[in-house]
Amino acid sequence: MQIAEPLLVAIEELSKLPSIGKKTAQRLALYLLKSNGEQFESLVKALEDLKAKIKFCERCFNLSEEQLCIICKNEKRDKSKICIVEEASDVIAIEKTHEYSGLYHVLGGVLSPLTGVTPDSLKIKEFLKRLEKEKAKEIILALNPDTEGEATALYLSKLIKPLRIKVTRIARGLPIGGDLEFADEATIGRAILNRGDF
Amino acid sequence: MSLTSISLRNVRKHTDTEINFAGGLNYIVGGNGLGKTTILESIYYLCTTKSCCSKSDANVVKFDEDIFEINGTLEGLTKDSATVIYSVASGKKQYYLNEKQIFKASSVIGKFPVVMLSPSDHAVTQGSPAERRKFIDSVISQSSRTYLDVLLEYQKILRHRSALLMRIREGDFADSEMELEAWNQKLMSAGEQIINHRVDFLKGFNSYVAESYNKIMGKMESPGITYLYLGGTKSDNISKTFKDMLSEYKVDEIRRAANLVGPHRDDFIFEINNINLREFGSQGQHKTFQTVLRFAEFFYIKDVSGNTPIFLLDDVFGELDAQRAKKVSEYLSDIGGQAFITLTDFGNISFLKAGEKDRVIKLNEDSKIAYA
Repeated sequence: MQIAEPLLVAIEELSKLPSIGKKTAQRLALYLLKSNGEQFESLVKALEDLKAKIKFCERCFNLSEEQLCIICKNEKRDKSKICIVEEASDVIAIEKTHEYSGLYHVLGGVLSPLTGVTPDSLKIKEFLKRLEKEKAKEIILALNPDTEGEATALYLSKLIKPLRIKVTRIARGLPIGGDLEFADEATIGRAILNRGDF
Repeated sequence: MSLTSISLRNVRKHTDTEINFAGGLNYIVGGNGLGKTTILESIYYLCTTKSCCSKSDANVVKFDEDIFEINGTLEGLTKDSATVIYSVASGKKQYYLNEKQIFKASSVIGKFPVVMLSPSDHAVTQGSPAERRKFIDSVISQSSRTYLDVLLEYQKILRHRSALLMRIREGDFADSEMELEAWNQKLMSAGEQIINHRVDFLKGFNSYVAESYNKIMGKMESPGITYLYLGGTKSDNISKTFKDMLSEYKVDEIRRAANLVGPHRDDFIFEINNINLREFGSQGQHKTFQTVLRFAEFFYIKDVSGNTPIFLLDDVFGELDAQRAKKVSEYLSDIGGQAFITLTDFGNISFLKAGEKDRVIKLNEDSKIAYA
């Protein structure tokens, strides 16, 4: 292919992003080339800041700018509830509903023996330590209602039950096999309100 | 629903074949190796997007050619055209319904229900339990989407669980005990649903088997299918038995790193007057039972889905004695649907008569079509 190398590299890198194909990558690269310097610089800076400034919250492993994320730092949040989710994107999805005022714990995945994801590769030990320190009264399991998500929920409930803490699970209403992060707010909001015993 | 015409291009022996079908029984007659079964296979392709007879689509393409194409016109409530195209070079198969490309096979399955009786059915009655589970699962799946979903989930759980058992075997059990318990619970919940579904299904399906059997045998006997689940337990308390067996087999499961308990190890016993077909049946009885099962499947799907399947019968008269063959042929003219029957020689079978709605299609030496 006879294309200037820097352009080719940019297209290749862009097409590695999720839901961006070769053609979209090429359009983006050419657009960025044409755009004015200011717009280009601010995009570059935003991307650099993203990587440099965002880290994991020390307590809940949500994405954060500081040691503790905005949710863990917020005194008004209800500290008696911890909602366990798979990924930080699920925190965003639940926050959008404005139905939940408790804290979170991001596992960073779900159990999947087939692909080698064990309890040790998730933030489960960290969660149990949290339970010793914090005075949570209710743990809400908000994992995706698919095979691995449910197995992980079962596993966590077995770990928590002996500690005499209430364990609930968000109500079904989400499409089976679906992804929490892609569901609409109304569905997730109702699922949080109608959570049931587990 | 019926198939009014089909065209085959580079499908095995058929370079360019077009056939118009009758709405009743279509007898496809020709010598060995002229491509009779290929016509049934092509119909199966149109109905399911898959081959009935070959695991690889590439095997179906005519030797030295790149692309095969099957076109068909189907008439039910609406008139539909279906097309299957496969290219060896790209390794891709495309399915078109009314000129619109369909990307998921599952959106075609069930639209054109099809039932096929073929010589490979001998595995259902004579082969391993896996063959019987496959038969039962496929009949239930065609009429229940829920069952198909649970079945797929169960298979996923099995794969996870065997990976976990492998890990436990090689590592520390204490760490993984609770994880195994969580997966056990998933296994039991999906497994129980499968068992209950199969039990319920057989309650209804057994009467279809009895009816078909008595039509073909021409006398009253009591055939039936008995379901042996969880090692043949007689207990009604499936949950408890499942749980007890899991703890009983725990050590074995870890030692072998394999799933040893659950409906993926169940079996079905085919019986005639309480005599086990697999142990005591003659070749003829086996063939009869295989035929009975497909007729039962045909009528079951017809009743449950309200959509009459297309019935494909490959060499059904080959192994049956004259009397049973005659009964089968009478039964066929009674099904109220369309059937395709391959034969080596129509004239030799005295009782076969093509009625008004039927057609005899002859395949000549060069695989050319002639209507008798």
